[in-house]
Amino acid sequence: MSLNRPALLAILVFATALLAILGALYAGAVRSYRKGELDVEGVRILRWALLGHAAIYALLAVTAFLS
Amino acid sequence: MTTVPDALAGPAVLEPANSSTLPPYTGRLLRWSFAIGVLPPLGLIVALAARSLWLLTFVHVITGGTWTGFDLFMGIVMSRVLSSLEVPSRVEIAKRLTPTTFFILPSLAAVAVASGIYLAQSEGKFVLSSPWILAAGVVVLVLTAQGFGIFMPNSVRIFIELAKRQPDTGKIARLNMRNVRLAGVQAIMQLALIVVMAHLAVF
Repeated sequence: MSLNRPALLAILVFATALLAILGALYAGAVRSYRKGELDVEGVRILRWALLGHAAIYALLAVTAFLS
Repeated sequence: MTTVPDALAGPAVLEPANSSTLPPYTGRLLRWSFAIGVLPPLGLIVALAARSLWLLTFVHVITGGTWTGFDLFMGIVMSRVLSSLEVPSRVEIAKRLTPTTFFILPSLAAVAVASGIYLAQSEGKFVLSSPWILAAGVVVLVLTAQGFGIFMPNSVRIFIELAKRQPDTGKIARLNMRNVRLAGVQAIMQLALIVVMAHLAVF
């Protein structure tokens, strides 16, 4: 199994950027929830969205070991 | 709008357990989006594991073509349709469009770019000093910056607004229109990218 280092690095950079932005928005949503402005379902669905994107990038990271 | 087959709807994990401002279909559409969104990276894994240049080319063309086609449709057709609707109707579309595209579009974009790089590497065309590769890289960076910086945050803001006890419907409609218009800008950038791709494929 060979590792495509540039591909893995690019995927990690993109994943970090995306998850950082989503994470910041999630943190804002949690603050809104604590203030009573947001429904708990909104926080749960955002957490699921964050994990879903992390899963897609994890699958992409696998490709760096196959190319 | 895409409907969710019952068989794919799955258990009501995301369904509200108590009174929620989020519509019950939000979770179903999000799960549908995820189910479709994992297909492109899985296809890329299969293509690379099988060491099939044909399959790798197929994955690149289908993801890139679908991504471009979707953006063209949103920019040329949906922007006109939404502009002609009243705000409540726009909000109803945004409530369904945002969860449905939430995983599919970023996944298509990421796999189109990744498979393109693997394809260029396998054909010995991934030379960073090549002006055509550089042009492709610049366009991809702009598309990515727009996607990460505007598209995705807007989609998440729509979710947050929808989940609020008193959603600002005007804000939801505004954010959705911004995304639809941006899709049109992305489509123009992608047409430029396809010019570069056509050159790389032939020469």
